[in-house]
Amino acid sequence: MKLMKNTLITAYWLTTVALFIFALVLVFTWTPTESTMGDVQKIFYLHFPVAINTFLACLVNFIASLAYLWTRRRKYDDLAVASATVGVLLCTIVLMTGMIWGKSAWGEWWTWSPRLTFSLLLWLLYASYLMVRPSIESTTRRALVAAVYGVVAFLDVPLVWLSVRLMPDIHPNTIALEPKMWLTVAAFALPVTMLSFGLIFSRYALYRRENDRVEARQQEEEFNETADAAATLYHQGGLTS
Amino acid sequence: MMRTLRQLRTLVAKDLRLEARTRQTVGLVVVMAILIVTVLGLGLGPQQLASGFAAPAVLWVAYLFAGVLCFEKTMACERHDGALAALLLAPVDRGVIYFAKLISNLILIAAIAIVVTPVALVLFGFDLSAAPGAFVVTVGVSMIGFAAIGTLFSAAVNSTGVRGGPLAMVIFPISLPLVLASTHMLIKCFRDGEPITQTALAILIAFALIYLVVSWLVFEMILAPGSE
Amino acid sequence: MTTLSVTDRFDEPAAVKTGAAMVCASGLGVRLGDRQILRDIELTIRPRTMLVLLGANGAGKSTLLGALATLTPVTGKLELFGQTVNRDAAALRARIGMIGHQPMLYRDLTARENLVFFGDLYGVAQPQARAMQLLQRVGLADRAEDAVKTFSRGMTQRVAIARALMHEPELLLADEPFSGLDLASIDKLEALLDELRHEGKAIIVAHHDIAHALRFADEVAVMRRGRMTMHKAAAQLDEQALRQEVLA
Repeated sequence: MKLMKNTLITAYWLTTVALFIFALVLVFTWTPTESTMGDVQKIFYLHFPVAINTFLACLVNFIASLAYLWTRRRKYDDLAVASATVGVLLCTIVLMTGMIWGKSAWGEWWTWSPRLTFSLLLWLLYASYLMVRPSIESTTRRALVAAVYGVVAFLDVPLVWLSVRLMPDIHPNTIALEPKMWLTVAAFALPVTMLSFGLIFSRYALYRRENDRVEARQQEEEFNETADAAATLYHQGGLTS
Repeated sequence: MMRTLRQLRTLVAKDLRLEARTRQTVGLVVVMAILIVTVLGLGLGPQQLASGFAAPAVLWVAYLFAGVLCFEKTMACERHDGALAALLLAPVDRGVIYFAKLISNLILIAAIAIVVTPVALVLFGFDLSAAPGAFVVTVGVSMIGFAAIGTLFSAAVNSTGVRGGPLAMVIFPISLPLVLASTHMLIKCFRDGEPITQTALAILIAFALIYLVVSWLVFEMILAPGSE
Repeated sequence: MTTLSVTDRFDEPAAVKTGAAMVCASGLGVRLGDRQILRDIELTIRPRTMLVLLGANGAGKSTLLGALATLTPVTGKLELFGQTVNRDAAALRARIGMIGHQPMLYRDLTARENLVFFGDLYGVAQPQARAMQLLQRVGLADRAEDAVKTFSRGMTQRVAIARALMHEPELLLADEPFSGLDLASIDKLEALLDELRHEGKAIIVAHHDIAHALRFADEVAVMRRGRMTMHKAAAQLDEQALRQEVLA
């Protein structure tokens, strides 16, 4: 059973890598080069699917947070952290590729364009989620705050989007894609999605294993503590007698 | 309905009486906010100051920090000695507890803003006379949204643990759309001399309402037991 | 050791035990997140009863009190004052008073202000008069205008009890009310609880002092690891047997 599971996991990752290589070969040999931006435009094929997956990771975080608030089961908190971690990682890639894009399109690494600002705010939103967790000591309190935050943060995303639209957009960057280009996007979307969900679930499984161990130990300690308290009570014979 | 209003009044009156009795929050927060404004003013230097449009951003920084301190203080009195448990035992709707706390927070923040805002406007040479109404409405609506979020998280983040840090870490990123939208509206209004459009105002009001409704709904969930 | 259940003791004068059950729980359980904290609780409490809950820390005493106060969602059957507890338990909650191990008071408000505040929340008629009357009763009338933070532990506890009584609850729940009190305060509190019982209230006290519990309880229940392992009339118990049951 365990062997089979491991084989499946290995097969999953191998497929992901193979699909990635295929997509890379595709983008450099088959996909036409975009006329105004040249080769740098190719970064878009990675940028776009990763952006979509950032959103999906946030969605998973939202659903897990809601599930935690509803049931207070530890496993949903674990899933929420796993997805937030992957979300921040993907968002970092979106930001970096976006900045490379900006550098070649407008000659600057950073402009306060709506899109870049949006990515930055999204990154901040979920990076805060990860950073605030360790500062809360009690595990149930931490999970609770994180879940409340996860729910509110996700609902905040459209507001962030709306608010950045109020900023003056000095760099309209709509590009008409040829059908072949869209196919390349699709070729990237598959491995990127497999990668992000693979990462979410491997992290989740890791947290589950760790927490199971911690909980088992806690229960044992709690039992000892109860026994201790009972023993003290017995020897003292209560307080007033 | 009458009962709900009476309970709201009782709860808010209690918060204000506690504040009047201890006089901790408002004084401390006002001085800290002025401190922030001063530090930013010193840091920005005469050129940026001359433009006169740093004021909205500087004010927001002051409001954000002042708000976090304020939310924390008003919730701390419920945490101390377990008074919150007694509130939960009383036949009071959880939503009423939330709104009462929100109203108390708004009153305190307004009190703080009334002192801090003129100071910042004077220090940064921001001329309010062009559209004072637009300024008050924009800041006021944003404050409602900000306080809604702050009230929710001050209840969730246990203030007996690390203070200040975590609460600011959760409230600031969530409030960024409000900050962004309102500062842009203010700059457009005062620098470009364009009146605030209905669309922009509608967006801001929608933001505040969304924060309000979401916080109210989530608040009921966090007060369920097992949260300690 | 005899194993009579508590229902067997109603051969006492009938006038002492009348009225419908205030609490009737059957198959009651509490689950918080991943942990089943209480299970299979069977409990019936009538008016004019003092029940003491004994058990080690973490046995579920506080959780049971929380469940009876309708603060915790429960599984199984729970009836308070003859009504099933559902989602909107506010009306039932208004008939319950609770004293926790924390005083649940605002330390910067005076004793009277605290009581009037809670009286207003409960919609008590003439909260001012009621507050003074209760402060008189717990012997703190002369300190009514002092902030609670200036009070000793015993005095704070008495204000806490006055708070719990502001709305004249029929059921009084007390979580470790004796802990941290000096001997004089313990005596006063015990006398007060006894008076309240004679007025017809049902009182449930979580406690950890076995000998003391036997002195003032009518009924004793023992909790262990989320279950109620024993529930008997105090008269039928001797200290040694009870000690064994609690520490088993």
